Amino acid sequence: MPNDLTMNPPAPAPARTAAPSSTREGLPALMLLAPFLIAFVLFFAVPAFETLYLSLTDSSLTRTNAFVGLDNYHLLLNDPSFWDSVANTFMFALMTVIPLTALGLIMAMLVNHFVRAQAWLQGVFFLPFVLPISVMTLIADWMLQPSSGVVNHLVGGQRPWLADPTWALPAVAIGTVWWTVGFNLLLFLAGLRNIPQDLYEAAALDGARGFTLFRAITWPALRPVATTAFILQLIASLKVFGQTYILTSGGPFNTTRVTLHYMYETAFTQSDAGYAAAIAMAFVAIVLLLSLLQALVVKWMARRDA
Amino acid sequence: MARRGFLAAAVALLAALGTTWAAPAGAQVEVRMWTLLSGGDGARMRALVDDFNASQREVRVVSTTLKWGEPFYTKLITASVVGAGPDLATVHLSRLPNLAGGGVLRPIQPAELAQVGLRGEDYLPRQWAKSRYGGVNYAVPLDVHPLVLYYNKTLAGRAGLLGPDGKLKPIEGVAALTDAFRAATERTGQHGLTMESSQSSYAIWRLWLAMLAQQNLTIIRNGRFTYGPAGVATLERIGDWFRRGYAQVGLDYPASTSQFMGGNAVFMLNGVWEVPELVRASKAGTLGFEYGIVPLPQMYANASTWADSHSFAIPANNEHPMPPEKVRAILRFVAYVSRHSLGWAEGGHIPAYRPVAESPQFLALQPNAQYAAVANNVVYDPDGWYMGAAGPLEAIASKFLPAALYGYMTPAQAVARFESESRRLIRKPPPRY
Repeated sequence: MPNDLTMNPPAPAPARTAAPSSTREGLPALMLLAPFLIAFVLFFAVPAFETLYLSLTDSSLTRTNAFVGLDNYHLLLNDPSFWDSVANTFMFALMTVIPLTALGLIMAMLVNHFVRAQAWLQGVFFLPFVLPISVMTLIADWMLQPSSGVVNHLVGGQRPWLADPTWALPAVAIGTVWWTVGFNLLLFLAGLRNIPQDLYEAAALDGARGFTLFRAITWPALRPVATTAFILQLIASLKVFGQTYILTSGGPFNTTRVTLHYMYETAFTQSDAGYAAAIAMAFVAIVLLLSLLQALVVKWMARRDA
Repeated sequence: MARRGFLAAAVALLAALGTTWAAPAGAQVEVRMWTLLSGGDGARMRALVDDFNASQREVRVVSTTLKWGEPFYTKLITASVVGAGPDLATVHLSRLPNLAGGGVLRPIQPAELAQVGLRGEDYLPRQWAKSRYGGVNYAVPLDVHPLVLYYNKTLAGRAGLLGPDGKLKPIEGVAALTDAFRAATERTGQHGLTMESSQSSYAIWRLWLAMLAQQNLTIIRNGRFTYGPAGVATLERIGDWFRRGYAQVGLDYPASTSQFMGGNAVFMLNGVWEVPELVRASKAGTLGFEYGIVPLPQMYANASTWADSHSFAIPANNEHPMPPEKVRAILRFVAYVSRHSLGWAEGGHIPAYRPVAESPQFLALQPNAQYAAVANNVVYDPDGWYMGAAGPLEAIASKFLPAALYGYMTPAQAVARFESESRRLIRKPPPRY
């Protein structure tokens, strides 16, 4: 039986021969790379370094002022508002990333299972993802209204979900899951369709069924997809701004003020671009640390399975 | 500077999208004005603009209304700094230290005012002084809009709070006011008090500021918080009214006013800008009760109350010096509005232009006459670049002070968080935009 299913990462490509040294090949390569390089420098490297420099100054929204060294970072370490915002951001990530990944997988399996209703189910699950954020927040806001919203109608009550310090962040998280789960559904669906049917047939001949099939075939095949979905969602969730900004403006009492929102407020309402830049840099550092940790975990899991 | 260039382009684009460019009409000078006035105030200002445009042919004012609060000021600051601002803007006097100190506004010379027949003495002294920064005039005041106490005469009568003249018996002292709220709640079965109290509302800050001012305390001086233990105690007092059920917590602005309009609250603490709605409903016969208005009762050592003022200011529009005929055209409009500010007073405001404020017509105007004396006791936000209507410090206060009413934080925690997040602002030197 041809087994084209790769359970492990693909073997490394054969060692490359020495890099092309002749200009005949180098020049076209450079020309091909140039648009990307220019865009990278212009839109990433330069702004990144400018932000880093800005974070070391006492600048307002419109003017670059005196160099103050690490003052902004000192302030940041003792700023409860910053740490609250970081906690809110991670809380939001926690409340969205795992449900999004799990729900995406479950929905994909449902779509795959109900062959006849496939197109319809896929459409229903994917539909919210195509909505612009303004529409999504408007719908969520209507659904969560204290007296007229459908959510209170279903659970029976008058809870002002978005104005309740305990429920505001979970409410935004649930709205976000509803909104973006369609993307994961597509990822998982593509992964599921790549699993050769013969594997299931062979396993069925060996007497495997139900959850065993999932554990032994589906999940190992889907794990790279799950990892991808997880990482993409983590990045998206840490970047959250629009949903909380529009739905709750960071309230009630800052319980939904995420780091990007705090940065925005610092720069625009308080006209403190220097401190806002420091918030940005500190958050980048925290996210980098997290990615490093995540990479280590993935590596460790891969080694454990090897 | 790259950042300025970018801002200039962005603001120019926004301006192009947001403004309707009227065709140039001969020698007519066009004055572009940005206001943050919506609702009734917006309609009254539009009427003043239309009347002015109809009254002469040399100047045409084109007014654009932008979203109140932080979005308005952010736009005004960035637009003016890059020279793409309007010719005239309505700003709160409480924001003047920020705007004038930051270089956003253009000074207005006494000679320029004299050209259109205006003098500093024509304006209420307090408001005129507030229009100056560093000894220079930066704005022409339009009004004073203080915090006042509205009451429902029917319900207050049932609670035994009216005198024989049918008006509210004088209330003095914070205990007396609390008693009045209790009597109002217990004897009418309605809410004793209603006021905006949802998260991120500015009303609690205004009341807190007024009550501290009545204790002769300022909020901030020389970069330090100066209210001491009274800050927490005063917030506790306010929270008490809510905790004891005299007032309902969590009402947003429309909910709080409709509680009073619907006859479900005896007292309402609010600015005078709700007057027109009451006048309208009274005239239409839909109000269902008679109302009265008194200045904020004296609870402590003096009778201060919070207030702010609208004013006219000319954005500096750096790099685009303004021709004298444009300045004259702008000020002609400002003088016109000052002289016709009786129409503006119908919005509940007390006019800042003395010939109107002291005229028999205004002194007879109801219900303004019931609280016109307040103008003498008003406190503004303290001076500071971070202060003023929807300014950075108010934004912080509006996040933490209401938390004490909800019981989400204790008053001490709320004040502590207000201080810790504000401290960075008040230590910073004022920004030059």
